[in-house]
Amino acid sequence: MQIDFAAKELTVKLVYYGPALSGKTSNLRAIHWLGTSNACGELMTLETQNDRTLFFDMLPITVNSGSGLKVRLKLFTVPGQVMHNATRRLVLQGTDGVAFIADSQRSEADANREAFLNLKRNLEENGIAPERIPIIIQFNKRDMDNIRTDEELEIIAQRSREPIYRAVATRGYGVMQTLRGLIRDTWAKLEEDHQLEEKFGISTIRFMNEVEATLKHHPGQRER
Amino acid sequence: MQDETNAADILMGDVVRLEDVLSRDSVTSVCKSFFGLFGLPVRVISHEGDLLADVHRDRPLCNYLNNFGNGERECAKTVGIVRDLEPDVQTLIHPCFTGAVYRIVALRYQGRPIGRFIVGPYVPAESQGPPASLTAVDGAIDATTAQAHFETMPRVREDIAEEISAHLRGVLELLVFSGHRAQLASTMQVASVRENYRELAEKNEALKTSFEELKQLDQLKSTFLATVSHELRSPLTSIIGYTEMLESGAAGALSDGQAEFLGTIRSKADQLLGLISSLLDLGRLEAQNLELRREAVDPHALFSDLASTIVPTANRRNVSLDIRVDDETPKVWGDQVRLSQILLNLTDNAVKFSDEGGAVIIRAKPGELDAPGASGLGAALFAASRPAVVLTVQDSGKGISEQNIPRVFDAFYQVDAGTTRVHGGAGLGLSIVKQLVDGHEGAIEVTSTVGKGTVFTVTLPAADDDA
Repeated sequence: MQIDFAAKELTVKLVYYGPALSGKTSNLRAIHWLGTSNACGELMTLETQNDRTLFFDMLPITVNSGSGLKVRLKLFTVPGQVMHNATRRLVLQGTDGVAFIADSQRSEADANREAFLNLKRNLEENGIAPERIPIIIQFNKRDMDNIRTDEELEIIAQRSREPIYRAVATRGYGVMQTLRGLIRDTWAKLEEDHQLEEKFGISTIRFMNEVEATLKHHPGQRER
Repeated sequence: MQDETNAADILMGDVVRLEDVLSRDSVTSVCKSFFGLFGLPVRVISHEGDLLADVHRDRPLCNYLNNFGNGERECAKTVGIVRDLEPDVQTLIHPCFTGAVYRIVALRYQGRPIGRFIVGPYVPAESQGPPASLTAVDGAIDATTAQAHFETMPRVREDIAEEISAHLRGVLELLVFSGHRAQLASTMQVASVRENYRELAEKNEALKTSFEELKQLDQLKSTFLATVSHELRSPLTSIIGYTEMLESGAAGALSDGQAEFLGTIRSKADQLLGLISSLLDLGRLEAQNLELRREAVDPHALFSDLASTIVPTANRRNVSLDIRVDDETPKVWGDQVRLSQILLNLTDNAVKFSDEGGAVIIRAKPGELDAPGASGLGAALFAASRPAVVLTVQDSGKGISEQNIPRVFDAFYQVDAGTTRVHGGAGLGLSIVKQLVDGHEGAIEVTSTVGKGTVFTVTLPAADDDA
């Protein structure tokens, strides 16, 4: 997080992590497409010819809080392919919260586990304690065959430390719920660490209401 | 260029300065095209106040007013104010005392101000004529002349000015977006390369350390082998010596049973001594301090020496030997003792692994040896090959499977551990052969067919004719 007291501006970094082809970029595309008014900036993608993320995607969202505080949310994705580990570690630097996008297909269980271990390792290498940072897990691709069932996810959610969300990112289902969950958990952690209410006079509930209002879908209102 | 410190800002995905992502040339081109289309002057200024583009033509009205002290001062003041105005809102319209206006438009990116552009001066089309302030600024100004110049100022309707400014803002923000994207891509490229390099360097360092440790361990192993072998050899020599003395009757006559037991003791002790000598050889070879006394060695002499040693063993195992030196086979350039050892180790193995009633064929023939560098780049500059002696030892044993072939020269390796119990040996023979052949700058090859047998081919440099 970066705080600019003079400009009353807060920049929060949120990273979408996960195995290759689990739908991280699809999440950002859906947010950009569902995202609203002029709060969402342009989605920047740095991708290769095969539509695979090379460095990262970035989507800026600005929340102008009623208290005069401006909160800039920076959403990043990492490249999922194993060979881009150095880039993943770089993108993860200074992150405030992580959305782990898992693939619901049974065949991808190992890839999910590998990527999660990789996330833990890279957080540690960046000097971030994995248990001290908000992480939420999204099980994406709920529309595919051969996936973990809802009942299985219920059981997983009950014993999971991280909140579990479900999504079909390519169609936008569950994407905003995931984002709101990520922002809520991240804000709560930032409040705990930095006493934002005391410093800027904005409570978590009020901030989330403002996020809610900012992210509300108003078709046709998008500006650059 | 980005330094280390703002690389972190860039990784946060922010534009640090407008100048970093927008080239002056491209902004100027856009402004020129804007000026060409609409005839409106335009300036682009960064958030820090640097002028990035300025496209305008001196207006007769401004030139005229600059002839008067107060006119010039007022002009400069207005231009100064306009230049420093940073609008909080999207657009500000600032009037000039001449009746013209300046339109100042904010450039924002990702929720932050990054600069502004100024369109004007122009006269709003809705204007009824020059205001009184035009002539009031300096008493010497001629109203008619000023009025005439005023009429030459570009005129635009405010709603049109609004529209074309929005268009220019869109173009400039798109340029910023593209520039920012390119900047992030190149920064990430460099940062990723650096990160990969750091990671590789760390891994290399770790590998180097373990390599050093392994080397030390290997050294320890060699030293240990040499010491132990040496220490074992002394008492063993005594055992063999005293056994021989007992056998020769030096301590009195022996019964048949005693003689037989002593024979067994001596043969096992000889076997042990052979093993210990091999270990010592291997130790020396690995330490690369085995001296070779090279001379021209006649293969006939090598083979007759070999035959006298191996025939008793072959007879015992009922294995036939076919030993032949082809005509024209040159002499070998090598150490006679070591060459004998090569042949003996190979033949001993061949006899050992041939089934009873099998045959071992040993040949020497002329051949060629690839010179170093004879293939690949610059091959034309190297002698392709040199004369050599090819020694083959062929058995009729059960053969070696393809996946085991690469390991046959490893020390202590036995293709089939079961054979050790039957035939003895510690798996050092072939390892010693390989080291000795290498020491002679020769080559060794193995071909094998499971169920049919194995052929070892050793190619050694021939001695020069006059040697």
